[in-house]
Amino acid sequence: MITSPATRLVKAIAIVLIVFWSVGPIVLGITTSLSTQREVNAVPTHWVPSHPTAAAYQALLNGSTGQSTGGTVTQGGDFVHAMTNSAMIALGGAALTLIVATMAAYALGRLRFRLSGAVLALLVGTLIIPIFVIVIGLFQIMANAQLIDTKRGLILVFVATQSPLATWLLYTQVRELPHEPEEAALIDGCRRWQAFVRVVVPQMSSGIAAVAAIIVLSIWGEFLIPLLLTSTMNAKPVTVLITEYVGKYTTNYPILAAAGVMALIPPAILALVLNKRITGMLAGSS
Amino acid sequence: MSGTITLESVTKHFPGGVVAVNDLSLEVQPGEFLVLVGPSGCGKTTALRMVAGLEEVTSGLIRINDRVVTRLPPRDRDIAMVFQNYALYAHMTVRSNMAFGLKMARMPKPEIRRRVDEAAAMLGLGDLLNRKPRQLSGGQRQRVAMGRAIVREPAAFLMDEPLSNLDAKLRVEMRGEIIRVQRRIAAPTLYVTHDQTEAMTMGDRVAILRDGVLQQLGTPDDVYDRPVNAFVAGFIGSPSMNLVSATLEREGDGLAVAVAGARIPLPPDAASTWPGLAERTGNPVVVGMRPEDFGRPDGAALTVDVTRLESLGSELVAYLTPTGAADGQLLTARLDRGAGLVQGETAQVTVDPRRLYFFDAETGDAIDVRSAEG
Repeated sequence: MITSPATRLVKAIAIVLIVFWSVGPIVLGITTSLSTQREVNAVPTHWVPSHPTAAAYQALLNGSTGQSTGGTVTQGGDFVHAMTNSAMIALGGAALTLIVATMAAYALGRLRFRLSGAVLALLVGTLIIPIFVIVIGLFQIMANAQLIDTKRGLILVFVATQSPLATWLLYTQVRELPHEPEEAALIDGCRRWQAFVRVVVPQMSSGIAAVAAIIVLSIWGEFLIPLLLTSTMNAKPVTVLITEYVGKYTTNYPILAAAGVMALIPPAILALVLNKRITGMLAGSS
Repeated sequence: MSGTITLESVTKHFPGGVVAVNDLSLEVQPGEFLVLVGPSGCGKTTALRMVAGLEEVTSGLIRINDRVVTRLPPRDRDIAMVFQNYALYAHMTVRSNMAFGLKMARMPKPEIRRRVDEAAAMLGLGDLLNRKPRQLSGGQRQRVAMGRAIVREPAAFLMDEPLSNLDAKLRVEMRGEIIRVQRRIAAPTLYVTHDQTEAMTMGDRVAILRDGVLQQLGTPDDVYDRPVNAFVAGFIGSPSMNLVSATLEREGDGLAVAVAGARIPLPPDAASTWPGLAERTGNPVVVGMRPEDFGRPDGAALTVDVTRLESLGSELVAYLTPTGAADGQLLTARLDRGAGLVQGETAQVTVDPRRLYFFDAETGDAIDVRSAEG
């Protein structure tokens, strides 16, 4: 298609704005994390630190007292612990969600049974219920089940909240899969579940990878539910821990920014790795 | 290895009242290649899928090797199937694709290896065993699908339009290859196609299906020479038989047929060739004329306008409008290139009255299927 120079100019400007909009906060976070508290508070603003320092990262990883860092107290090892919690919850939650959702999507998409349409509608319908509506009931259930402040409790909740979307996305994929490879497997001696595991799931691998990425990123970024259901480092994820670096009277912005930057790294790596894998598989699937 | 595939009064109703297959009975003999052919939607694929166990049978019995399998799941039927789109396992190599069924049967690994290597050699896949399906051409994928079926050494083969995704040249090549492999394996084979050329060239016998009902079952020559009704007559043969309304008239001692604006006297022995014909004198019938039966010496002449000519190189396909015909019928004729027709002009073409086919004007049934010598 031939486009006029004016159109191209508008497009270029739009792209620059979008990139600035998404990358700007990250760049700001990185520069802030490398600055000193004094420099951050300076007027006029120093956008680029004159003496870059990793002090904020050291304080975050090794611990610091409020005195040396101006209002923010960090406990050595807490941050890494919270990152580990986040990873375990996100990976565990995503793995369980995918097992549930893949099977549900197959059942809803392939096996015709009464009310399968209604089940799907109900499932997708839960997506519009805001989490705030159920938090009180959820807290009570979790308290009764003695799952407050446990990673497995959080994982269970996330499996419940993430499954509908995952099921729906995978359902659309199941509907588009050709039937024949599965039928060939049935003729080749498989029971239905064997055909599902050995032939259908591999056929769905690109979709499963994409949904896995979505779920892991989504759980990694969860804040309200873990804030509500955790109280100690036993299960506290990094999103909740970071908020505690906001001091009562003053806040050490470099430490806050360093925590944000570090919390960004795992999901960024995951997105990059799976992005390649997803596009690769999509290209080779037909 | 020898076995049979038997269908006894097999019927399939789909929800919503559609009868896909109606009271279908046929038997594939040991080692036989039987082709199930018909237009799309005639129920041939449904019939095949019922034999495979992929579709439930509403009523009737299916036997494979004299064992009733009607209610058995596909894995317990000892069959192999080749699908139209090959249905290869995209995430497995060619070797794994072919070995999959044997692995499911828990066959010892050396035996699996031996069988896969043997089948690969037979199909010329030896160099491709470590490739993935997406790295193969259509013909190669088709061979892998065949290989996956034959390594199983099943009691019966089922094939669902296995050639329709291939280009014309490859299709002709693979026809021969499938027949060669099937002869070697000698398992009864039920082959579904909508392509009558495939049916005629590949089948030991051909079963023609229409709207779920078996029309005729016979050798390719049988169904070509002695179609039981106008549908079979029109379906078998390419280009299709011309089916034209006509009236039977008395001509001296014999009969004549008024067709396409002409009057064709039938040969004196018409009464014995078509015993049912005489009693229909004065009544409408449908006359069938095969395109290849035009232009023969000493035939009856028809006056036609030459509407269109298509040269196939070796011969000529002519679309002719009989001058006397009221309803603008078009006849198709296969003629020698030297027939001397010119597009847009009027010409005389002959048709051999001995090679006419007669059908009831209402039911379409053949009027006294002609005796074997035709």
